[in-house]
Amino acid sequence: MYKAVIIGGSAGSFQVITRILHSLPPTFPLPVLLSLHRLKHVRSGFVEALSIKSGIPVVEPFDKDQIKPGRAYLAPANYHMFIELGNKIALSTEEPVNHSRPSIDLSFVTAAQVYRDKLVGIILSGANRDGAYGLKKVKDLGGLTIVQDPLECQVKTMTEASMKLTKVDHVYSTNEIIKFLQSIK
Amino acid sequence: MNVTDQDLQYFISALKNYTKYDFSDYSDKSLKRRVEKVLADRNLDVTGLITSIKNSQEFAELIVKEITVNTTELFRDPQTWHLLRSRILPRFKNNKNINIWHAGCSTGQEVYSMMILLNEMELFDKAKIFATDLNSDVLDAAKKGQYKYRFNIGYLDNFDKVIKQNPLNYEEFNDVPYDKYFEIDKAKDTITMKKFLTEKPIFRKHDLVKDGNLFFAKFDLILCRNVIIYFNYNLQNNVFELFHSNLYPKGCLLLGMHETILGPWATKFEKIGQAYVKK
Ligand SMILES: C[S@@+](CC[C@H](N)C(=O)[O-])C[C@H]1O[C@@H](n2cnc3c(N)ncnc32)[C@H](O)[C@@H]1O
Repeated sequence: MYKAVIIGGSAGSFQVITRILHSLPPTFPLPVLLSLHRLKHVRSGFVEALSIKSGIPVVEPFDKDQIKPGRAYLAPANYHMFIELGNKIALSTEEPVNHSRPSIDLSFVTAAQVYRDKLVGIILSGANRDGAYGLKKVKDLGGLTIVQDPLECQVKTMTEASMKLTKVDHVYSTNEIIKFLQSIK
Repeated sequence: MNVTDQDLQYFISALKNYTKYDFSDYSDKSLKRRVEKVLADRNLDVTGLITSIKNSQEFAELIVKEITVNTTELFRDPQTWHLLRSRILPRFKNNKNINIWHAGCSTGQEVYSMMILLNEMELFDKAKIFATDLNSDVLDAAKKGQYKYRFNIGYLDNFDKVIKQNPLNYEEFNDVPYDKYFEIDKAKDTITMKKFLTEKPIFRKHDLVKDGNLFFAKFDLILCRNVIIYFNYNLQNNVFELFHSNLYPKGCLLLGMHETILGPWATKFEKIGQAYVKK
């Protein structure tokens, strides 16, 4: 019933993302879109590090790549990642938004416009407010919204900002997020 | 400000009818987003924007400059420059001339990066550099070769990675001083390219949508990086045709790190790393 999962977070949520990806079966029926802030000068190696333990292939997509189920698409360093109608990735090098490129808001808003009520949006731990507006759009357009339990987050700014702006559907621990994703058939 | 598909179509038609620019084959998502940004920055709605475009050529020209994305960096994506250094440029070292076209050069950082690399490889004098863009403001900035120091400070790292280090041999380190190529003035917050660099390239205004090859030359190397992400599939194919027919056999086309040739033109090139070599 869902068509895609989109996850936003920052460099600090690396371990949580690794755990989530590790828990997904190779037959996971949806694409997973990852819009994550990176440390300033660490631009490469991220996708390799995430791939090692992931249950599904992780790629940094090319512009106009067709989005396929059972794969994770990591927004490339220094690009915004948009989702286009027709299930395609669109990249852009326009200026950072709220000091962020990729901008989680832009990825979430465009994904919400394409997948509407068939989208699951998840916000993890992060150090700025990017993502809060995007998650609100997911909710407004009928998608399911999940925020990582702030008690579990090293940095709560992103999750708390999201919860302030949106009445999110679930506040989940990492384990609960994993359980939820594994239950998607 | 939310721009609908219909709004976008009206906007594109207005530009088409009242200016010489045609954005029909630009990629939807990013164009829409740029229009939304223009509306927010100028506190206008779509109708207001279109009326102003109809009323003033100058205004329309300004808007075109605002909706194109001009971000660029010195030695953006060091991996690409390593590829140029180790596998692409050496192919041309016995040529009499090396003709290079930067299509969509923006404010010129890519062009200066190329000239610095060529100079380090002792290929500078053989090279002829052509650089084009749709936006005359960025071309003016490119000709001037002066950038904000603070904004570009991070990119000096890229210079170090490409020019000072050898990725194939980390023991090797060439301490090339920055002032061989540019002056840094921290008080004035400027990086200024040296004259022998600024006077070399030929900069011209050029529209990839409708202009052909402006230069009476074919090319050994064409760089068109982070430009075609803003184009749709059709326009991309037209541009690949233009590039293919203006490359020498064995000439190379270099796209951005996350751009590929998707359609029929892919078979007319061989790949060396991310570079496309004309068969
Ligand atoms: C993101 S910049 C890329 C700069 C540089 N190549 C780089 O990768 O760092 C894109 C440039 O493409 C130019 N551009 C957009 N549409 C164009 C067109 N139809 N013809 C020529 N240039 C165009 C824009 O004005 C802008 O300067």
